[in-house]
Amino acid sequence: MAHDHHHHKESFITKYIFSQDHKMIGKQYLLTAIFMGAIGITLSALFRMKLGWPDTQFSILESILGSDAAPDGMLDSNWYLGLVTLHGTIMVFFVLTGGLSGTFSNLLIPLQVGARDMASGLLNMIAYWLFFISSVLMAASLFIETGPAMAGWTVYPPLSVLEEFQPGSGLGMTLWLLSMTVFIASSLLGGINYIVTILNLRTKGMSMTRLPLTIWAFFITAILGVLSFPVLLSAAVLLLMDRGFGTSFYMSDIVTSSGALDATGGSPILYEHLFWFLGHPEVYIILLPALGMTSEIISTCSRKPIFGYRAMIGSMLAIGFLSFIVWGHHMFLTGMNPFLGGVFTFTTLLIAIPSAVKAFNYITTIWKGNVMLTPAMLFCIGSVSTFISGGVTGIILADSALDISQHDTYFVVGHFHIVMGMTAILGMFAGIYHWFPKMYGKSMNKRMGMVHFWITIVTGYGVFLPMHFLGEGGLPRRYYENTNFPMFDHFLDLNIMISIFATIGVLAQVIFFFNFFYSIFRGPKASLNPWNANTLEWTTPIEHVHGNWIGEIPTVHRWPYDYSKPGKEQDFVPQTVPLDDNEEEH
Amino acid sequence: MEGKFIIIIAVALFFIALVQLMKIYDLAAKVRGAKSQEKMTRGENMLMANLMLVFMVVFFGFIIWLIAKYGANAGLYKAASEHGQELDDLLMINWYIILPVFFITNSLLFIFSWKYYHREERKALYYPHNNKLELIWTVLPAIALAIIIVFGIRTWNGIMYNKEEGQVIEVYAYQFGWLVRYAGADNELGEANYKLVSSTNPLGVITDQSIQDTYNEIDTKVSGIDSELKENRNSNGDLLMPKSKADKKLDELERLKRRKYRIEAAIDKREANKTAYASSDDDIVVQELHLVKGQPYTFIFRSKDVIHCPWLPHFRAQINSVPGMETSFKLTPTITTEEMRNMPEVQEHYKNINEIHNERKRRIGEEEEKVLFDYVLLCNKICGAGHSNMQIKVVVETQEEFENWIENNGDKKRLTFSGQEVNWSETKEQASL
Repeated sequence: MAHDHHHHKESFITKYIFSQDHKMIGKQYLLTAIFMGAIGITLSALFRMKLGWPDTQFSILESILGSDAAPDGMLDSNWYLGLVTLHGTIMVFFVLTGGLSGTFSNLLIPLQVGARDMASGLLNMIAYWLFFISSVLMAASLFIETGPAMAGWTVYPPLSVLEEFQPGSGLGMTLWLLSMTVFIASSLLGGINYIVTILNLRTKGMSMTRLPLTIWAFFITAILGVLSFPVLLSAAVLLLMDRGFGTSFYMSDIVTSSGALDATGGSPILYEHLFWFLGHPEVYIILLPALGMTSEIISTCSRKPIFGYRAMIGSMLAIGFLSFIVWGHHMFLTGMNPFLGGVFTFTTLLIAIPSAVKAFNYITTIWKGNVMLTPAMLFCIGSVSTFISGGVTGIILADSALDISQHDTYFVVGHFHIVMGMTAILGMFAGIYHWFPKMYGKSMNKRMGMVHFWITIVTGYGVFLPMHFLGEGGLPRRYYENTNFPMFDHFLDLNIMISIFATIGVLAQVIFFFNFFYSIFRGPKASLNPWNANTLEWTTPIEHVHGNWIGEIPTVHRWPYDYSKPGKEQDFVPQTVPLDDNEEEH
Repeated sequence: MEGKFIIIIAVALFFIALVQLMKIYDLAAKVRGAKSQEKMTRGENMLMANLMLVFMVVFFGFIIWLIAKYGANAGLYKAASEHGQELDDLLMINWYIILPVFFITNSLLFIFSWKYYHREERKALYYPHNNKLELIWTVLPAIALAIIIVFGIRTWNGIMYNKEEGQVIEVYAYQFGWLVRYAGADNELGEANYKLVSSTNPLGVITDQSIQDTYNEIDTKVSGIDSELKENRNSNGDLLMPKSKADKKLDELERLKRRKYRIEAAIDKREANKTAYASSDDDIVVQELHLVKGQPYTFIFRSKDVIHCPWLPHFRAQINSVPGMETSFKLTPTITTEEMRNMPEVQEHYKNINEIHNERKRRIGEEEEKVLFDYVLLCNKICGAGHSNMQIKVVVETQEEFENWIENNGDKKRLTFSGQEVNWSETKEQASL
C-alpha cells in the first residue's frame, strides 16, 4: 500500500465526492442514510396523521404531498399505501441496510482490522455511487403523478404488476424495481469488499479470535447479503419481465375489468418464496451490525470485557445460518403444505436460543461493570431492551398455529418495529455517537444526546407497544382507515395516542440532526481516544490521512476486551500493548 | 403560499436560535472550565442511572395499564369456533412463558445499568466468561422453546389436518369485495373457470348457459372492434386512426379470439366430465355469509385478481386467497350471533363502542346509529385502494334460521344456476362488477 500518500495533494472532487478512501465513503453513506431516514420517518408521521385523526383535514398534508396525494388535506387511500410502502422500503433497505452496514462497515473494518483501506477502493466507491443513484431513484418516485409503488414494501404480485390494480403499479413500481436492482448491485459490491478485507487484510497478530465483535458482525452480515440479495435480484428481474414483457412467472388465472388475462401457469407464491429467501436474512442483515456495535460499546462503556466472547461469535454464526432456513414463517397462510409450516415453526423458534444467549451475555457484561452512561451507551441499553421486548413477541409469531390469529395484524407491525426497527436504529445511533469523534474529529454534544435518547426510547415504545393490543383486537395492518368497522371503534383513543407519540418521536430527531450537523462544524475537538477503548481505530490520527496510519500499521497482541484487567494500572489495555511475560490472554 | 413562507421562516429562525443557544452553552462551558463533551461527570452518570430506574417503572406501568385496559384479546372475546378455543389456550400458555422472561430480563438490564453506574473509585469486575453460566442460559431457553414448539405444532397439525368433511362453501375475493357460493344439497361445488368470468357469471361457473353467454359477449366485442376498424379505413384499405391506437385494437382482437379458442377447448372437456359441471345446478351465490352453529364447514377460497386474505377474527381463522390456486380452511362455529350479542362482556363493550361510534358520527355530521355486534369477514392482505373496506357480514344462526334465510332469500342478492331462477340484476349492482 502507498506510503507516500501525503505527497499527493487531492482535489476537492477526489477527496469529497469520488473518494476511494473508506472513511470518506463511510461518511457519504451516513449522510445519504440520514437524508433518506429523514424522508422515511417523515412519511410515517404523515400517514400516522390519517390513522390518528381519520376525519380531520390537514392542510399541511396537501402542502407537503400535493393535491393529488392529499386533496383538501385528506390523504388519498392509494397514496396512503404509497407512503406506507416507501416508508418500509426506505427504512429497511436504504437506512438500515445501506446506511447502517455501508457507514460502519466502511468506517470500521479497515480501522479495526488494521488495514490501510478496503481491499478495493474503486469497487467501494462504485458501491457507494450505486447506492446514491438507487436512493435518488427511490426518492424520485415520490414526485410522480401516479405516486410511488403502493403494494407494500414486499410488492407482492399480481398487485404490483398491473396499473389497473392500483396506480402505483405503473411508473412508481418501475422506479422501485430499477432502484432496488441498482441497490442490490451496490450491496453486493460492498459485501464482497467487506468479506475480502476482513479475511485478507488483517494486521499482524489480528487473528480471527482477536477481532472485535463489530467486525464479526459485519463479516457475517456481508456473507448473508452476498448469499441472499442475488435471490431478490432474480425475483425483481422476473417481476420486471412479468410487467413489461408479457411473461407469467407470477401470474395465473387473473381476470381484470377487460376480461381474463392470457397469463397461465405462474404463481404469486413463487415470488413470495424468492422475496422472503432474501427477506428473512435481511432482518439479520439489519440486526447484526447493530448488535455487533452494541457489543463493542457496551463492553467499552461498562469498562468490562464482553461476557462470553466466543459464545457471542457462535450465536451470531448460528443466527446467520438459521436465518436462511426460516423464510417460510412469513408464508404460513399462503396455503403451503402444513408439514412445511411445522418445519418452519421449528427452525424459527430455534433462532430464539442464540438470541437469548446474546441478550443474557449483554446483561452479564453490564453486571458489576463501571458503566459510563454516555449517549452511545444509553442507546445500547435501549437497543438491548428492544431486542428483548421485540424478541419475545417473535416467539408468538413464529408459531404457525398462533400465526393464524396474528398474521398481518398490528401485532406484527408492533413486533418487527421493536425488534428490528428500534433495535437497529438505536444501535445505529449508538454507533454514530460513539464513532463520531473518529469520523469528524469532533465530539457531539452529550446533553443533546441524552435528551435525544430519552425522547426516542419513550416515544418508540409509546408507539409500538400499544400496536400489539390493536393486533390482539384483530386490526389488520395497511388499513387506510379503521372507521369502516364499528368493532375497531374502541381503538380510536389508542390510535390517537400512537400518532401523538409518533409525531413527538419524529420531531425529536431534529435534536439529533441539529447536534450532528452543528458538531461537524462547530463541535469541540475530539481527543485521540475519547472513550479509553482498546481497538485499533483509536490509534489512528484524529485528522484523517489516506492510509490510516502515518507510520507502520500497529501489531496486535491481545483481544480487544481487556478492560479492568486485574494487575493493570489503567482500566483498559489497547490491543497494541504486548502481553506481559506471564500474562494470560483471557 | 403565505402559510408555507411563514413556516419556512419559523423553521429557519428556530435553527438560528438553536445555533446561538449552542454557542452560549459552549462559551459558558469554557468559562466554567468544564470538561469536554466526551467525559461524563459523576452527576450526569447518576442522573442517567436514576432515569433508567424511572424509565423501567414507567415502561412496566404502561404495559400493565395496556393489559388492564385492553386485555389479552382486545375486543375479540371468546373464540367463536372449535379450533379457536385451542388457539386461545395455546396463546395463553405462550404468554405465561414469555411475560416473566420479558419482565425479568428487562428489569435486570435496567437495574444493572442503574446500580453499576460509573464512579471513579469503583473498578469493574474482570469476568470474561463462565462456561457453566452460558450452558445454563442455552439449555433453559431450549427447554422452554421445546415446550412451545411441541404445543404449537400439535395445535397446528390438528387444525390443518382436520379430516372432517364439512359443508362446502366457496368464498371468492375480488377488488374490493367477496362473493359466497353455497354448494347446495349435493355438497359439491360446480366447477369454475376464470375464462368464463363475466358480468353475468362473476365466479366463472361452467354451465351451457355461461359458456354461451361468454361466447356472445366475446362475439359482440369482436364485431364491435371489427366494425370500428372497418369504419376507419379509407377506400385503399389504409387505417385512418393513429397507429398506436390501431395496434391496440388489433391486439385486443387477437386476445379475444385466443380467449374464445381456449374456452372452446374447455367445451370438449365438458362432454367427458359432465357431472362435475352439473353439480353447479344447485349452487347459490350470495353476498352474506350465513353459518349454522355446530356445523363443520370446509371453506374454499379463490381470488379473481390479486392476493387477498379472508380473515375471520372472531373465529380465529385466516388463510390467503391466491389467484391461480385454491386454498381451504375448516372451521366449526360454536356461538350464534344472537348468543354473542347477549354475552355480558359484549354488551358492556358495545355500550362503549356505541358511544365512541356516535360521538364520531356527530362530529362529522352523519346520522347516529345503533351498532350491534356482528361477525365479519375482512381482507387482511394489502390489495389496493379499497383494502380497508373489503368486508362482508357473517351471521351464525340455528339450522332453522339458516334454512329460512336460504329458502326465502328476502334480499334477492343471489344467483342460481338452474335455468330460470336467476335473479341477478341486483346482485350485479351490489357487487359493482
